Amino acid sequence: MNKYFKKLAIPYFVWLYVLAIIPFVIMAILSFVNNEGLNFSKAIFTLDNFGYLTTSSTVIAFMNSLFYAVIATLTCIVIGYMVAYAIFRSHFKNKFLVMTILILPMWSNMLLRIEALKNIMEPHNIITDILSKLGIHVSLDIAGTPLAVIIGLISTYIPFMILSIYTALEKIDYSLEEAALDLGLTETKKFWKVIFPLSTKGIVSGSIMVFLPCMSGFAIPEILGQGNILLIGNVIDQHFRNMNYNLGSLLAVVILIIILGAIFLVSKFDKEGETLL
Amino acid sequence: MKKVLIDLKDIVKTFDGQTIVNHLNLQIYENEFLTLLGPSGCGKTTTLRMIAGFEKTEAGVIIIDGKIVNDLPPYARPVNTVFQRYALFPHLNVIENIVFGLKNSSYASKLMFYGEDNLIMEAQDKYPNKKITKHLLNKLINEKIYQDAEYAIKLVNLQGLEYRKINQLSGGQMQRVALARAIINRPKILLLDEPLAALDLKLRQNMHYELKEMQRRLGITFIFVTHDQEEAMTMSDRIVVINDGVIQQLGTPKEIYNEPVNRFVADFIGESNIIRGKYIKENEIEVLNKRIPCVGYKFAENEIVDVVIRPEDWDVVSLDKAVFVGKVISSIFKGVHYEIIAKVEDVELIIHTYEEVKVNDQIGLKVDPYKIHLMRVAQDE
Repeated sequence: MNKYFKKLAIPYFVWLYVLAIIPFVIMAILSFVNNEGLNFSKAIFTLDNFGYLTTSSTVIAFMNSLFYAVIATLTCIVIGYMVAYAIFRSHFKNKFLVMTILILPMWSNMLLRIEALKNIMEPHNIITDILSKLGIHVSLDIAGTPLAVIIGLISTYIPFMILSIYTALEKIDYSLEEAALDLGLTETKKFWKVIFPLSTKGIVSGSIMVFLPCMSGFAIPEILGQGNILLIGNVIDQHFRNMNYNLGSLLAVVILIIILGAIFLVSKFDKEGETLL
Repeated sequence: MKKVLIDLKDIVKTFDGQTIVNHLNLQIYENEFLTLLGPSGCGKTTTLRMIAGFEKTEAGVIIIDGKIVNDLPPYARPVNTVFQRYALFPHLNVIENIVFGLKNSSYASKLMFYGEDNLIMEAQDKYPNKKITKHLLNKLINEKIYQDAEYAIKLVNLQGLEYRKINQLSGGQMQRVALARAIINRPKILLLDEPLAALDLKLRQNMHYELKEMQRRLGITFIFVTHDQEEAMTMSDRIVVINDGVIQQLGTPKEIYNEPVNRFVADFIGESNIIRGKYIKENEIEVLNKRIPCVGYKFAENEIVDVVIRPEDWDVVSLDKAVFVGKVISSIFKGVHYEIIAKVEDVELIIHTYEEVKVNDQIGLKVDPYKIHLMRVAQDE
């Protein structure tokens, strides 16, 4: 490659080193020492932190994270596939515009959206007020429940799923569908034997994009779960807030390793690397 | 009398107000190799896609094997297609692609395909002590499908590549997989949509021979779409020359080459010199200000006609024996022959000859009366 073009990536590399790799190294060191705050003067090497990984509160938080992430991802796959397929099959002239409108909520601030969602989920909010003025007394009293958290996770991350499944569907050559029909397959069979298998890459990449933030995020469970539901992200958050950098770092590193492992596994199955693009 | 397998009656198709196929009538016989030939955008592929069921006709009837199929979806027609860019399934390997159609058909149609009675007899032979169940028959059908696949693979010369992935195949191999995938279903009609367009010349010439041979052996009707006149000439029993959605000429390759009905056909099929002339009287025409004999055409006396003379039909002779004398404008060596452009009476003629001729030389020309072809001048010209 031309030397000149190589230089174009320098700003990013600086950013990557300063804000990603160096902090990671520090976190890795922090998880093996015992110190106060970020003061390394009295730091001693220890493996005690690892004991914390097996305490019941960590395990529960971890299992919670896994459970919520799996439920959210599966639901996103089902709903996302239906939406993506509907757009793919629609006769809109500008499908890209439709996609843009669908993912428009992603452009507003996530915290704002979640706060708004929480508001709607509470017994009294602007909508119930308006409805009660009209004589309709209904309310959605689910704030603080697991359902609220799952709804929050799904509504936040489903655009990623729709987008990646749609991209995979759009890549399918139309002549393959004609070939399937030509070879005697009915429309339903065509879907299951040609379209679905060829769109699994989109499902996999969408799943990664949904599963990982669901697994490690902390804002949604905190706001919509109102402290009732503790995910691993919340535990890490608490440790850092309490200046317990050692345990926080350790958990963060563990999560990171799990994420890297997942990506590695996916890349094993998908040698061309199309999924992750 | 050959049996008519496909009958296209007054087919019309328009896209965005533009007529692509214009009142097309065509009968296709059993077990023939028919080529739809024409320039791109002439409606030949659209016609093929209407037979396959991918496009709806706007008017007219398509009858396949005595049955009107206008409203039948592609999967219900006794037709299989080899697509232009093959359309192989990238998530399946070679053999899975080939068995795709048979394997995914319903149990009932599988029974029909292999003959229920035959299957039951075979099952009794093979498993004499077992009760004939659906499961057992299914197993037998599956075995048969893979036997058929092996046969198809042998037919298209793909032995040893059964488990290759599609993206690891060359263009020629993909072409063969596409063929095998279609013929394994034993269709009555095989539609081929410019299947050789992506192959190199040598491979294409081999495939010409193989396709023709395959059609003869399988005894099914091939409808082949191409814009390559040489391809059409070598393989076809009959050629349909189409332009602007209208059939220009229908006939054997020989008829089309030797007796084109109009300027378009004469021009499109091979190179030719089309010169305005006059039909003087029986067996005599005037062309390039010379009166020469011709054979076997009947026009009104003194009618203006188009005279077609193929480049290879000119005889280059010494000047004293020449009927026409021209000046050589260019001379290009083409391997077997020289292609010469010569100017006679301000008309440029293409001439093929085996002997070298120098540019700016005078050249003497003659033509055999039997090789002159006359065409009526079209009304709008």
